[in-house]
Amino acid sequence: MKITALLVLKAAPEATDPVILANASDVSHFGYFQRSSVKEFVVFVGRTVASRTPPSQRQSVQHEEYKVHAYNRNGLCAVGFMDDHYPVRSAFSLLNQVIDEYQKSFGETWRSAKEDSSQPWPYLAQALTKFQDPAEADKLLKIQRELDETKIILHKTIDSVLARGEKLDSLVEKSSDLSMASQMFYKQAKKTNSCCTIL
Amino acid sequence: MQARHVQSSYRDRTDEFSGIVESRRRSIAPTAANNAPYGSGGRREDPRSAAANQSEFSKRASLIGLAIHQTSQKLSKLAQLAKRSSVFDDPTREIQELTVVIKQEISGLNGALLDLQAVRNNNSHDNDERSISRDTTSHSATVVDDLKNRLMDTTKEFKDVLTLRTENMKIQEDRMKKFSKISSKESANPFVRQRPLASKPSPSQPAPLPWANGSSSSSSQLVPRQGEAESSPLLQQSQQQQQQQQQMVPLQDTYMQNRAEALHNVESTIHELSNIFTQLATMVSQQGEIAIRIDQNMEDTLANVEGAQSQLTRYLNSISSNRWLMIKIFFVLIAFLMVFLFFVA
Repeated sequence: MKITALLVLKAAPEATDPVILANASDVSHFGYFQRSSVKEFVVFVGRTVASRTPPSQRQSVQHEEYKVHAYNRNGLCAVGFMDDHYPVRSAFSLLNQVIDEYQKSFGETWRSAKEDSSQPWPYLAQALTKFQDPAEADKLLKIQRELDETKIILHKTIDSVLARGEKLDSLVEKSSDLSMASQMFYKQAKKTNSCCTIL
Repeated sequence: MQARHVQSSYRDRTDEFSGIVESRRRSIAPTAANNAPYGSGGRREDPRSAAANQSEFSKRASLIGLAIHQTSQKLSKLAQLAKRSSVFDDPTREIQELTVVIKQEISGLNGALLDLQAVRNNNSHDNDERSISRDTTSHSATVVDDLKNRLMDTTKEFKDVLTLRTENMKIQEDRMKKFSKISSKESANPFVRQRPLASKPSPSQPAPLPWANGSSSSSSQLVPRQGEAESSPLLQQSQQQQQQQQQMVPLQDTYMQNRAEALHNVESTIHELSNIFTQLATMVSQQGEIAIRIDQNMEDTLANVEGAQSQLTRYLNSISSNRWLMIKIFFVLIAFLMVFLFFVA
């Protein structure tokens, strides 16, 4: 479940190629010599997918062993390269967040960009590391996970409560036996007391 | 057709009767006496009325037989249509129309048969003297029975055709479901490169959100996005590219459906959790009751033991305070000695 790269592009309408606005990739698991080619590959595929994603649409494309998820919102396009196990919903919610963040921090300046910007955007790099775990990106997933844990804990609790109930039952029996015995004791004592007053 | 047969055999008789009636009328007409013996007059009129009734009866019977024949023809057509169980070109409307028509006809025929029976009963009441009418009654009875049987067969066939039709419809539905399931599975797999899917009608959604204008602030976008997933399909409605739209629609659908499904799961999990909590609370309260009982038992035991202890101490006191006891014992001993001395001395 890993994210390989996150890209933010400006998807120019039709013919022209999208312009890369921010790029963060995690190529640490590739060999040293493959890294640059992987980066190129990421850039190229990202551009292609972004140019093919119509505005206000989400798209997922399978490319070799990666899934490329793209979300285009009014010209600002976020592309993510994930592996097959990453849940789609989390991927898209992550892309949503990225786009929001970008718009918050950069406003509308990106619309005027004509060429690939090479400045790294720290948020993107942070996001890449943070969201390796899909639960972080997708609150629903997180909630579901926590709920499942809670359910397990509750099941255990109920089991222990049942055991407690059994113990309480045995206690009740013992205490009722005790009270019976003490009652007999009392009666006996009374009997011995009341019997020999004549003597 | 047997009805015609019946009619033809009947027609002979009717002609005979009408001939007799004519001759009789001609012979009696000059007398101009309306108090002619009832028998002959009756005989005259009866055959005529009998003839009229019989002819009416036979007419009706023949009509009914014809109608039954037509109905059975229509029914066979309906059966053929129902048997044609192809997925496409489904003549539902025709079948339904035919069904309605046939049902009406059958009910009409039922009513007509009942009328026929009533007429026959009237006939039999009128002409119970005649031996000819006895034959007539039996004959008309057989005719009516025959018509009834035929109508019953037709109704049975009708029912069979209807059941066949429902079975076929079920089979068709299953097939459609299978097909549609396959197509929905294909659309549910967005991980494959998009192929143009079979045209799926894009869902019609209510009025678009401000998103469509793309001019709202990011904060307001965050909130609705986090909230509900079904608003996004609205965006695709406002797009002009139809073809890609069709590809996108299933993808958006599945995406949104996934989100909706996840939310439903969360909701159901929360419900289960609440159930578990209530069960837990019930169990704990029950056990609390048990604990109270245990407490009471222990208190009872304590009281009993204390009472027993007081009794024993009293007993001990009464035993240890010997003075009163000693006096009593001496008295008893002296009394004994006295008795002993008395007996000995």
